[in-house]
Amino acid sequence: MKELLWLWGYIKKHKVKFVLGIILVIGFAAVSTMIPYITGTIVDEVIVAGKKERLYGLLISLMLVTLARTSGAYGFSMLFESISQSTVYRARKDIYSRLNKLDFTFYDRTRTGDIMARMTGDMEAVRHFTSHVIPNLIKCTFHLVFSLSMMFMINIWFALCVIAVAPLIFIISALLAKEVKPKFAAIRKQFSKLNSVVQENIAGNRVVKAFAKENYEISKFNKQNKGFAKRNIENAKVWEKYLPLLDFICGLMVIVTVLIGGILVIQGILTIGQMAIFNALIVRVNMPLRQSGWLVNDLQNFSACADKIIGLLNEETKISNSDNAIEDVGIQGNIKFEKVSFGYGDEPVLKDINIDIKRGEKVAFIGATGSGKSTIMNLICRFYEPEEGRILLDNIDINDLALKKLRDNISVAMQDIFLFSDTIEGNISYGFPDATKKQVIRVAQMASAHDFIEEFPESYDTIIGERGVGLSGGQRQRIALARTMLKNPSVLILDDTTSSLDVETEHEIQKMLEKFCQLRTTLIIAHRISSVKNADKIFVLDNGRIVEQGTHEELVNMHGAYYEVYRNQLGDFDNASIKEECI
Amino acid sequence: MARNKFDVDEELEEQFNLGHLKRMFRYLKPHTHKLTITAVLMFVSNIAALLGPYLVMDVVDKRVPQKDIKGVIAVSILYMIAITISVICLKYRIRAMAKIAQAVILDIRMDIFKHLQKLPFSYYDSRPHGKILIRVVNYVNSLNNLLTNGVINLITDLLSLGVIVVYMLIIDVRLTFISLAALPLLMLVMYILKRFQRKSWQQVSRKQSNMNAYVHESICGIKVTQAFSREDENLEIFDECATEYKTAWMSAVKINHLIWPLSETISNMGVAFLYLVAISWFENGISVGVLLAFSTYITKLWAPIVNLGNFYNQIIISMAYMERIFELLDEPVIVANVEGAYAMPKIKGDVSFKHVGFSYDEGHKVLKDVTFDIKAGETVALVGATGCGKTTIVSLLSRFYNIQEGTITIDGHNISKVKLESLRKQMGVMMQDTFLFSGTIMDNIRYSQLNAADKEVMEAARIVKAHEFIMEFEHGYYTQVNERGSRLSVGQRQLISFARALLADPKILILDEATSSIDTKTEIALQQGLEKLLEGRTSFVVAHRLSTIKNADKIIYIDGGRIVEMGSHDALMDQKGAYYHLYSAQYKIMTDDRAG
Repeated sequence: MKELLWLWGYIKKHKVKFVLGIILVIGFAAVSTMIPYITGTIVDEVIVAGKKERLYGLLISLMLVTLARTSGAYGFSMLFESISQSTVYRARKDIYSRLNKLDFTFYDRTRTGDIMARMTGDMEAVRHFTSHVIPNLIKCTFHLVFSLSMMFMINIWFALCVIAVAPLIFIISALLAKEVKPKFAAIRKQFSKLNSVVQENIAGNRVVKAFAKENYEISKFNKQNKGFAKRNIENAKVWEKYLPLLDFICGLMVIVTVLIGGILVIQGILTIGQMAIFNALIVRVNMPLRQSGWLVNDLQNFSACADKIIGLLNEETKISNSDNAIEDVGIQGNIKFEKVSFGYGDEPVLKDINIDIKRGEKVAFIGATGSGKSTIMNLICRFYEPEEGRILLDNIDINDLALKKLRDNISVAMQDIFLFSDTIEGNISYGFPDATKKQVIRVAQMASAHDFIEEFPESYDTIIGERGVGLSGGQRQRIALARTMLKNPSVLILDDTTSSLDVETEHEIQKMLEKFCQLRTTLIIAHRISSVKNADKIFVLDNGRIVEQGTHEELVNMHGAYYEVYRNQLGDFDNASIKEECI
Repeated sequence: MARNKFDVDEELEEQFNLGHLKRMFRYLKPHTHKLTITAVLMFVSNIAALLGPYLVMDVVDKRVPQKDIKGVIAVSILYMIAITISVICLKYRIRAMAKIAQAVILDIRMDIFKHLQKLPFSYYDSRPHGKILIRVVNYVNSLNNLLTNGVINLITDLLSLGVIVVYMLIIDVRLTFISLAALPLLMLVMYILKRFQRKSWQQVSRKQSNMNAYVHESICGIKVTQAFSREDENLEIFDECATEYKTAWMSAVKINHLIWPLSETISNMGVAFLYLVAISWFENGISVGVLLAFSTYITKLWAPIVNLGNFYNQIIISMAYMERIFELLDEPVIVANVEGAYAMPKIKGDVSFKHVGFSYDEGHKVLKDVTFDIKAGETVALVGATGCGKTTIVSLLSRFYNIQEGTITIDGHNISKVKLESLRKQMGVMMQDTFLFSGTIMDNIRYSQLNAADKEVMEAARIVKAHEFIMEFEHGYYTQVNERGSRLSVGQRQLISFARALLADPKILILDEATSSIDTKTEIALQQGLEKLLEGRTSFVVAHRLSTIKNADKIIYIDGGRIVEMGSHDALMDQKGAYYHLYSAQYKIMTDDRAG
């Protein structure tokens, strides 16, 4: 019911079309019943009674009725198609904007495939329901009503005999629909299993080959492939059971017509024409009954799918603009964490973090894998919200800032680099689509990416794949870095952005960044001392807490965790001569 | 690097290609016997099912006027028998076709998948994975329709066309020709409509796949989108995709919905014409039964003709799918066992490259004249700037690509002459991008050695220092991860795939930037664990961190695809060449003040 109300919300924008469509469907059903009537009249009046002069009139009316019927059918089909397309279009757009608003928490727990299913399969069910099931439900109902009325008008007893079998059709159709439903569900489920096996095999082809696990993969695939065939055959078994039965009963109705009708005509109770009418009407009684089970199925399917769509549309996002979100403010880039704590689910990740960063400062974070460095960055961008404490940007709680304002002023290069299947230029200008080619080249140069980009035959117009396939890790990192810099942000966040680069390239980039970041606040996450040592302040994280902070020199003198890391990395240089030379 | 963007329509050839069709039907060959039986049964079933109108005619024209109630009953019984026969045939047909169809689809899909396993990296690197997936799954499913419903319906339709015409001829020859008068008109209309219909549906499917591709990418890249607050632009692009799809759909259904009304109108015109001719022009009129029978037969005649048009369309559309499928099946397996390939004996670990030259695509040489000898048990570090060819060298060692010049030998065996599987099984490779399969952490580590006990898996995890963080998860080793594993950090993923490489107990271990995202503390602990483990194994390490490099037995410095220096850390330092420069530069960067 909720689902139908939801659908009505979209349909009611096309009330006129909808009402017109329904009228046409009912008209169609009414007119359809007239064709057997005309045929019967021709039989009785023209052939049996010999009134040949009436033939032309009857044939013309037959043609007119046919034309009315077929154009009516075209009319309502197109009307409902148009309504359903508008509906689906709007619903899709609603989902898409919802997706844009949903926070990372949602994406962390939701699989891409599931969202895709909402947009494709579930949406298809809504389309099918609106364009096909709704008019068909009305059509079937009225076909049945009109045909039965005409049968009863002609001869009640004959009508009753013929219809006696009808409930059987209805029952069998309903049984078939009921039994076949889980089979279809099983096929769909198996299909998605098959799909994932193949998808992972393709995505992980390097691993498969590296460990020579092709045969294992084939046996994994074989299992799902066979399972898919099996589900399909199981489905066919249901059809095999019911479909012949249905055909048989429908045939039975014709036999009843011939048998009883024949006897009634012989006894003079019925005219031959009337029997002909019955003969033709039977099809129109059969069809709605046969379809009834399916329509019920479609209706169920629709509610299941619509329910999932509604679920997605109602998905709450914790992160949205507050009521009086501040938009009209220039961001300087002072960042302050006040007693911030955060956890993903039950696992605490950050505990009581206090940070104070001034505009233009360069701050680095260092610490073990999983110690919470990336989480701090995510919190600054408000991809997640702290459980306790607050984060201030220029002394404004970031929850009070308009999201767009906040994110427009922060530019982040994430650890897990995602590039779009677009040209290199398109990828770099992703955050600033109006950028000129010159600007794009400039940031690419700053990110030391220009040279290798130029080496591609199509240079900046080279199309790269979804996850940047075809590029090495270091190349991907540099493109992502260029993308980040083009935005001209007040705050720049680099999350392990140079880990795949050799130290010298990294150093070059750092020198460029130094200039670029003069008036910007820069936050860097890295593992190499060389990447962090020039920072104005370094935070050392361990297990969600800041255990040390200070400049490189201060931390080294502290002889704590940072010093340990430093010594270890410096320990690589035990060659005294070099030390002497360099120091 | 020919790649497809989401908004580039994938062009599919739409031409009738007999070769493709023949090849496709070869899959049906093992089922010829069943198919023949089905066809025969369908023929019987058609004759029985189409007897109906004839019997109605008999009742109306003969039994009723003669007031022969017994006759009516007899005809009814006869009809009942006919229906029963037809129904039994139908049952057999449903069963047989489902079995044949599924067997064929199973075979095709298996062939493709097996072939995919043989294809080299270069195949996967040069196209979006989504498009490979579609071939294996969706295109094959589309063929299913053609092979089963299409083929069997074609047979059924042709048979029923024939049977109907025969019935009509038996009843009245003149009327038969009059009834068929509208046929050419119908066929012409169908032919024209179908052409437009096909084009318009292809348009729909292109627009649909563009839209879906865009949505898919939007979801995968949502974090970037939100970080750059580009939601509004994306919504506009999506709007465009969705609108194009809607427009394509509407223009397709415009034609689609015409088919039934037109064929119905023409069919009714035929009936009207039949009445007109039969009643007013034939001298002695026409009997009611004949008229009824004919009007029923005409209606039944139309359906197969419309279906035939559908079938033709289906074949043409499927042609494009077939082409894609066969293209994949014909994709040459470049890296394959050569004739007379033998199994690689148990590897000791001597590796030697002799004048190896290699390029990914013609022209652009990635490696030039690379020559080196490594003794069993040595650790080799490959050093050089990003993109100089380090990863390429280690990829060649597992023969992921074929070399164009020179030879690579392991223990004196040319790796191009041994069986691929026997070679790769003895190597442990940890690659730059870490891929995890969806499943538990346990399964993922075990992937390299399927019969490893839980204990062994955990031992490997301990050595690479992954055990601690794994145990911190609520479900420990049974924590579910997936391809992108949002729960795991990049460093954690690296550790897991490191454990996976170790578990293979390889004689040659290849670590390609295995620890780039791992913090120093973990890395050091990891290295201590590894040291014992690496004894007796040859290992190749690609890394940027000097800590990893300097302990190597041999350091190979590569620049522009050539080896420029080779030797131990100390030896290279004394040379004061490229390596020395790199080393001291790093040291400078490390220790210098920010002026540097």
